[in-house]
Amino acid sequence: MAAQMATTKVPEVRDITRIERIGAHSHIRGLGLDDALEPRQVSQGMVGQLASRRAAGLILEMIKDGHIAGRAVLIAGQPGTGKTAIAMGIAQALGPDTPFTAMAGSEIFSLEMSKTEALSQAFRKAIGVRIKEETEIIEGEVVEIQIDRPATGTGAKVGKLTLKTTEMETIYDLGTKMIESLSKERIQAGDVITIDKATGKISKLGRSFTRARDYDAMGAQTQFVQCPEGELQKRKEVVHTVSLHEIDVINSRTQGFLALFSGDTGEIKSEVREQINAKVSEWREEGKAEIIPGVLFIDEVHMLDMECFSFLNRALESDLSPVLIMATNRGITKIRGTNYQSPHGIPIDLLDRLLIITTSPYTEKETRQILKIRCEEEDVELSEEAHTVLTRIGQETSLRYAIQLISTAGLVCRKRRGTEVQVEDIKRVYSLFLDEARSSQYMKEYQDSFLFNETTQPTMDTS
Amino acid sequence: MEAQRVLEYLSEIEEAAEDVLASRQQILDLDKKRNMNREALNALKHEMVSEEKVKVCFGNMFIKLPKAKTRDMIQRDQEQLDKEINSLRLSLKDKLNHLNKLQGKPELTGYNLSPLSSDEVKAINHLLKR
Repeated sequence: MAAQMATTKVPEVRDITRIERIGAHSHIRGLGLDDALEPRQVSQGMVGQLASRRAAGLILEMIKDGHIAGRAVLIAGQPGTGKTAIAMGIAQALGPDTPFTAMAGSEIFSLEMSKTEALSQAFRKAIGVRIKEETEIIEGEVVEIQIDRPATGTGAKVGKLTLKTTEMETIYDLGTKMIESLSKERIQAGDVITIDKATGKISKLGRSFTRARDYDAMGAQTQFVQCPEGELQKRKEVVHTVSLHEIDVINSRTQGFLALFSGDTGEIKSEVREQINAKVSEWREEGKAEIIPGVLFIDEVHMLDMECFSFLNRALESDLSPVLIMATNRGITKIRGTNYQSPHGIPIDLLDRLLIITTSPYTEKETRQILKIRCEEEDVELSEEAHTVLTRIGQETSLRYAIQLISTAGLVCRKRRGTEVQVEDIKRVYSLFLDEARSSQYMKEYQDSFLFNETTQPTMDTS
Repeated sequence: MEAQRVLEYLSEIEEAAEDVLASRQQILDLDKKRNMNREALNALKHEMVSEEKVKVCFGNMFIKLPKAKTRDMIQRDQEQLDKEINSLRLSLKDKLNHLNKLQGKPELTGYNLSPLSSDEVKAINHLLKR
């Protein structure tokens, strides 16, 4: 199998220049709290929303401690008040070691998978398992390799390998197999190598700095490393964090050639999940694994329907449950799939389990700050007056619209070879692109000339 | 009084750090000895094939001993060394954690886990596509 994998492996093509794209929340670096969990007015890309950020900070601490599982938080607020930003802030502040899974409520509607399957996959992606791997290795710099070939040309080769660290030096006797793998890896004096004691696998870490001047011409890929310190025979411990979902996927794949290439995993049988749960808890009892409850963030949670909500209710009770953070911008509305009205479009029994954080609309000063941060993020320079005008637009229409205008105005400015966006540029894009309010105004005026106009239609109902 | 307390605290940290360093040095010395023993065993096997008796250096004195007996002696010594190095490594972890705690540093994550067996490691490596 391994040989087959090696032969069919396509060489990877790497892009040399990779341009980082700028997303809507790429300026968020954390929650912007100080050590006492007090929010700073402007910090780590976050502006204002002090009360909700402090609340999020408290929850963050609880998640970091890992003591709470199966809790759920709802971030509720009007559109454009930083709900997703707060969730992103939590994700950033958690660091890379705690699993954070973000999804949108509408992602669960797919033809290939049932809704509850999609949800349970998301749940299991948000739970990490920490495990440790331990290997005995011999690590040192090659001082000398000596290989004796039998005079007849055939027969067993024998040899000696001298390895050293900064503290000690020793000679190893080599068998035929080791000699073969040494020559296969092209090991020569001056290389720093590790030998795995259990498998005998040799890997080259690089060339020793003390041998840097052996040759004048060196390939770019020659890497120089320090001569290892300490004892020659070391014990290496590596700690991995894998998510439960990753373990599920491997174990549910049917052993076949096609299975390797199908990207979609499809549904995972519940027996597989139960087996894995059993294995993981066995490991936990033996002290071989730690469970890290992570965070599952569901944006636009009002898009879930009644079935999903009752599934969530049940899933939160499980002891392998992550912290669930949901966000919605709905007020009192219909629960999807029913005719019942409920706050945030979430059933009362689920609401009862939630800690609710609210966000409030930004003030003028805060809007100004956010626009400034976004300008820096998008590399657009704004003149003082233009900034004031844009803030005004942000206040009167919406923050998102104002943020959209930044990059478009930046383009207009570059077109006329200006260095700083002026009020004229803003005016130009403001007249080119309509905001939501002006667009609906336009509709109202000219709706008779549009197709399929029915003046009696009620407003959009997305529930 | 305050100065006294600080001094005590610092000396405690210093002591813990000294402990860690001493353990590490000891592991190093033992590994050195282990490798020398290994070289000796190899030499007995390959270079001293014909000899009946071999000269063994004890401190600053050479003593002629039968080969089989020498080999047994060294092998017993090796086992003892392996055991000692292992126990030192285990205690080193506790010592280092103790030092970290005194200095107010967080404990290393995953430090107290016991390792997976080789079969399980193989499965996980397969999972991580390495």
